[in-house]
Amino acid sequence: MLQYILKRFLISMVTLWIIVTITFILMVSIPGSPFNDERASNETVQANLEAHYNLDDPYHVQYLLYLKSVATLDFGPSIKQPNQTVNDLLGRGFPISFELGIVTIIVAVISGIVLGIISALRHNGIVDYLAMGLAVLGISIPNFILATLLIQELAVNAKIFPVATWSSPMHMVLPVLALATGPMAIIARLTRSTMIEVLTQDYIKMARAKGLSPWKITIKHALRNALMPIVTIMGTLLAGILTGTFVIEQIFAIPGMGKYFVESINQRDYPVIMGTTVFYSAFLIFMLFLVDIVYGILDPRIKLHKKGGE
Amino acid sequence: MKKFLLILLAIFTVGLLAACTTGEDAGEEEPAEETDQKDDTTEEEANEEAVTEGEKVLLLNNGIEPTSFDPSIGFDQVSWDPLNNLMEGLTRLDQDSKAGPGVAESWDISDDGLTYTFHLREDANWSNGDPVVAEDFVFAWKHMLNPETASPAAFLAYFIEGAESYNNEEGSSDDVAVTAVDEKTLEVVLTAPTGFFLDVLTNPAFFPVNHQVAQDNSEWHAEADSFVANGPFLLESWDHNVELVIAKNPEYWDAAAVKLDKVHFAMVNDTNTQYQMFESGELDTATIPPEMSDQLIDGENVFIGPYGGLEFYRFNLTEEPFQNKKIRQAFAYATNRDEIAQYVVKNGVEPAYGFISPGFTTPSGEDFRDVNGDLVPYDPELAKQLLAEGMEEEGYDELPEITLTYSTSDSNKAVAEAMQDMFIQNLDVEVTLENQEWGVFAEAQQNLELQFSRSSFINDYNDPVNFLESFITDSYMNRTGFSSAAYDELIANGRAETDPEARYNYLFEAEKLLAEEMIAMPIRYYNTVVLEAEGVSGILRHPVGYFDLKYADKQ
Repeated sequence: MLQYILKRFLISMVTLWIIVTITFILMVSIPGSPFNDERASNETVQANLEAHYNLDDPYHVQYLLYLKSVATLDFGPSIKQPNQTVNDLLGRGFPISFELGIVTIIVAVISGIVLGIISALRHNGIVDYLAMGLAVLGISIPNFILATLLIQELAVNAKIFPVATWSSPMHMVLPVLALATGPMAIIARLTRSTMIEVLTQDYIKMARAKGLSPWKITIKHALRNALMPIVTIMGTLLAGILTGTFVIEQIFAIPGMGKYFVESINQRDYPVIMGTTVFYSAFLIFMLFLVDIVYGILDPRIKLHKKGGE
Repeated sequence: MKKFLLILLAIFTVGLLAACTTGEDAGEEEPAEETDQKDDTTEEEANEEAVTEGEKVLLLNNGIEPTSFDPSIGFDQVSWDPLNNLMEGLTRLDQDSKAGPGVAESWDISDDGLTYTFHLREDANWSNGDPVVAEDFVFAWKHMLNPETASPAAFLAYFIEGAESYNNEEGSSDDVAVTAVDEKTLEVVLTAPTGFFLDVLTNPAFFPVNHQVAQDNSEWHAEADSFVANGPFLLESWDHNVELVIAKNPEYWDAAAVKLDKVHFAMVNDTNTQYQMFESGELDTATIPPEMSDQLIDGENVFIGPYGGLEFYRFNLTEEPFQNKKIRQAFAYATNRDEIAQYVVKNGVEPAYGFISPGFTTPSGEDFRDVNGDLVPYDPELAKQLLAEGMEEEGYDELPEITLTYSTSDSNKAVAEAMQDMFIQNLDVEVTLENQEWGVFAEAQQNLELQFSRSSFINDYNDPVNFLESFITDSYMNRTGFSSAAYDELIANGRAETDPEARYNYLFEAEKLLAEEMIAMPIRYYNTVVLEAEGVSGILRHPVGYFDLKYADKQ
């Protein structure tokens, strides 16, 4: 096991290095500069700014500076918010995005699985059609439309929840609803289809024949196998949701880190681009690693390393 | 099987615990943040109670986190709107948007118009109790001009003797002609007489910095705890990316005039959301989302005022067919700007038939725009004729292909499409539209790679020369390839002439020359449109400058 983890760690480091290098190449190859805004300026001012942020150095020097910043995990100050380091921005934003993400995931997974099981058990019945109709809506309505709708109806008109910002549990309800609907729908559909498949397997018929209760069959025998595909998508889903979503954070004015992914690129805020990319990649790699571990637990046939196969 | 369930349960519990502890850890990493937030909520509750007892709290939206409260660095509206209320320069824009006394009670100008001597108020103090002294200005301005600081606003100070050479590393800070004669007297020497220098000084880049505080802690401006203010308000709390609270500054020399107790700045960057917050009473002012413009613009609670700025299109004189003046004029005269303003941009904006937006007052008290009149008319007949003449001059049987480029945005696209349509209708010319992401676009325009491209200009100080000087030869802001000795001379005189009437005459001439040469075609003037909740009054929104809450009130 330790050997496996070590191997995975080394592979991750190489992956990260490749990502940093590609990001650097992309960064320097897109035209534009962080100092091109619509305000007046002149050559001296531009030159001073470039010197201040080391942008006048040759590319290989800049590349080494970035590698150093990744190695030391210190990305330096943001260009667009010069009084704050990239670490400050991520350190403040990530916990908020994470909090929102975890609640969203819990809501989505529980409601998605429950909805999927119900549909599978009442396969082709009215409940199935209703649940899957809901799931199709959930997948096809973009979350920013749902968000605007929720704000208008539940906040502005009904005045049950606050419109936006992030300061109390009440402020969390609408963004979680808007964010959870999509993943919930995906999970529900996935659970339903695999459950239907699993429920027709011989061993389930066997269990029925033995006279086990339907509840026991569903939870103990069917669901376990039906969970595999869900675990597979979980890694990417978690990494995506936990590191924040640009649109939902923008609409609800949530001070998470989602916006840095998009805005840093628009603004050519190079240290923030590098910081967010490395952070997200490392997080994704870690999540995929966790998923692999969970596979091994869920399905004993999957072996993490050779020795365990004996 | 039981074992499996047990394991699953264990994983779930560990996962949950991990989630909770990460949350707690995150809180521990930044105890200050957490407590700040708690303070805020309790304050908010306290405020709500206090409101009934008469405490006045204005709820505004700043859009995003201010770039920086270092006056030299935060060169944008999101920084300078709040900063303009936290600090005060030598002069401050008054209720008529004219430069009036600020920290300087009075000033003397030498007969040659070069030397300004400012007399600072005896009762001007910092929020920590220190007096505001002349040295604070010397320190702040030299900090701005220091090339190491890399201030994007530094060029605004080039009017001062020695400023430019210090900023471009040719001179030293000792040569910058700003001197503290004594504690309360500041002397400034300019490179040339500058009739609008007092206006320039209202710009937040020229705010003082408490040099004693800044010498101890160069990051004094980064957090509320260390921030020292000398304006009508002080910085009470700053929860980065979340909220900013400013409160009445008891040390301010004119504190008696300040009516509000506190102002909250939220950071909501979505137009619809901030409007919905306004609707539900969570904000006291809001902008109008573009799609709701028709519905809301005529309402009684709408403030509409001029904003010193112009949307325009640049012709690239180095590319065919725009080397020809008549062809440039033809395109400009063929553009129906009334229609663009009224049906495309909406929101009560004014179509532009000149370059200088309304709101600049001439020495005789008239509006610059009224005096110089419509210089770029809409005249499709004349346009057609000019196009024919121009093509003949260049020997074109067919016009070379024209691409009109704009930076990607819905409103830019709408204007570009309207223009494309007008060129087909009025000139029978089909131009190709192209949009580019902002950074790509800006660089291509700077390098003269675009043929015909969108631009905008926002004034930094309250004088027409601010826009007009963009087009002098080799200016960084020129971006057209235009070069004219006559124009350069008009602008030089328009900056340095000491007689105000004569100076304005140079500027009138310069604008006329710009319209005649037609190196850029005006589209529309900017304006300020704000929804204000009932009971909100006294917010000063200057055509040029940043809003002022000194006299604001909320019932």
